Amino acid sequence: MNRSTPTGQGGPSLSRLGIPLILVVILSMLGALCIGRYPLAFVDILRFLGALIGQVDMPAREYDTLFNLIVRIRLPRVLAAVLVGTSLATAGAAFQGVFRNPLVSPGLLGVLAGSAFGAALGILLGVPWAMVQMLSFAMGVVAVAVGVGIAGLFGGGGIVMMVLGGVISGALFTSLLSMVKYVADPYNQLPAIVYWMMGSLAMADLGQVGALAVPILAGMLMLVVLGRPLDALTMGDDEARAMGVPVRTIRYTIIVLSTLISALTVSLAGMIGWVGLIVPHIARLLVGPGNALLLPTSAALGACFLLGADGLSRTLTTTEIPIGIVTELIGIPAFLLVLGRARKGWL
Amino acid sequence: MSEMALSASDIRHAYRGTAVLQGASLQLRPGEVVALLGANGAGKSTLLRILLGLLKPGGGEVRLAGRPLADYPRRELARQLAYVPQVHSTPFPYTVRQVVTMGRLPNTGLFAAPGAADLAAVERVMVRLNIDRLAERPYTEISGGERQLALIARALAQGSRLLVMDEPASGLDYGNQITLLELLRSLAAEGYGILKTTHHPDHALAGSDRVATLQDGRIIADGPPGDVLTAQGLSNLYGIAVEPVCLPDGRLVIAPAVDRTGPRSPHSPDKEKHAPIRPLRQF
Repeated sequence: MNRSTPTGQGGPSLSRLGIPLILVVILSMLGALCIGRYPLAFVDILRFLGALIGQVDMPAREYDTLFNLIVRIRLPRVLAAVLVGTSLATAGAAFQGVFRNPLVSPGLLGVLAGSAFGAALGILLGVPWAMVQMLSFAMGVVAVAVGVGIAGLFGGGGIVMMVLGGVISGALFTSLLSMVKYVADPYNQLPAIVYWMMGSLAMADLGQVGALAVPILAGMLMLVVLGRPLDALTMGDDEARAMGVPVRTIRYTIIVLSTLISALTVSLAGMIGWVGLIVPHIARLLVGPGNALLLPTSAALGACFLLGADGLSRTLTTTEIPIGIVTELIGIPAFLLVLGRARKGWL
Repeated sequence: MSEMALSASDIRHAYRGTAVLQGASLQLRPGEVVALLGANGAGKSTLLRILLGLLKPGGGEVRLAGRPLADYPRRELARQLAYVPQVHSTPFPYTVRQVVTMGRLPNTGLFAAPGAADLAAVERVMVRLNIDRLAERPYTEISGGERQLALIARALAQGSRLLVMDEPASGLDYGNQITLLELLRSLAAEGYGILKTTHHPDHALAGSDRVATLQDGRIIADGPPGDVLTAQGLSNLYGIAVEPVCLPDGRLVIAPAVDRTGPRSPHSPDKEKHAPIRPLRQF
């Protein structure tokens, strides 16, 4: 954990940190299952789990109530929070490495703007919710393709061109989004678009979370595997190449994987900001900048961060606060704290 | 010629139609320090990138051990030939050990964690360069000289016998510059071949076996320092008057021939940036 221990590039320490990280996530999930309008004790959860596998006797009515509350209502959003938090934090950490800039977030190349436009378009067209989600995912990917394509037009696999391409693409899809908002019906469609953009885990259902978990976890694992060449990439293109790293291949692979998992989470939960920016910083303070360790740590902390934010969004007031608002409200002071501690590294 | 030599012949390159290199040829063998001199914009960096296989030349060919550079898989090349960039900083506070361990990438493969042998190799080069005491310090917080050593250690960790260095002395204080020259000499004595660019004729004179000068896209001189770094050679290269001065013990140093009485001999305007050394009494 400590930067002053001689852990090399993190080879041995990932094996040491892996289990604690997973434990922290599981404990956070159990904690999140307890929180809500109808608070549960930790023991209740354990008793229910015991009853579920037939080891604990429990009255049928209590079992039904708990089943409803835990499995039907809370579990989907807890799992959704884990998926969304891990992928946004991992994608954010990977993007910060690829673009050699700790102030970058997963939306840099326009994926969020594209997804927002896609979802808004779906709501405007009145298509079924699953189609809205698919449009959102597809437009997120298209927006990044446009950004990278613009960079390519100007001869650039270089990161400055890509950032500029992403800015242009983001602006394009933001203006398209404004257009959709302008023509949307102000009584039904416009509020739906606005709420979607605030982010919510309330729409998550178990089947969908399960289906998305496979590609998201696969993408994250691949990103973690790319941690070592990503370290070399942060030193500069020429240096990484001279160390035997196929720079373009690695960079494009990381961009594609990050884009895919970000767009998938956005299609699941709408816009949830700040996770991808703030969590990698906290992880870097804990385990240092080596990506082989930073990426899995960011993944675990991202899950915890979003579980916490979702807990707050469900309990702060009687009606649920959109989670995107919560992550912003806690993200800003957290970021200020991190800035104070991390300043010597890069400012 | 030794087996592991790096050899560039008749390299030509142009950026957007402007010729930078027009038939440059240069060799680097294990066990020697070669200094590459040239004015700003002469194409030193371009030649370096081509020699490293980072840039495909518009014409000509680079061979390593007789085999064209383009035929080498990137990883194999990285085990033979390493790049030491100018001292820089990074946005992320990697420890010195992490930076040096990155050099093991061509040996471990891209995805495998460094094993015991790799970590031992890292330790060895850090001890060799006397930076093991800095191992856990963030690379972003050590001095420029220490960073340069970390970058050299990273190159050594690659296991390459040939090192290409871009102005290794830039950004170092005077003492560190001299220490670096001595380090490069001793590395050459251990069998490393070192090609470095430099802006200091004195460094080339004192620390290298051979000096090559790049002008107008060609290597116009290549030979022992004393033969290349003559008053005539240097004034051709930089467009200013210099004079080699012989010290009492026989060593040579290069001194700018500043005219203390008035304006110096005219020179072409594009060399202006090297020129304005005014006589002291004007101040």
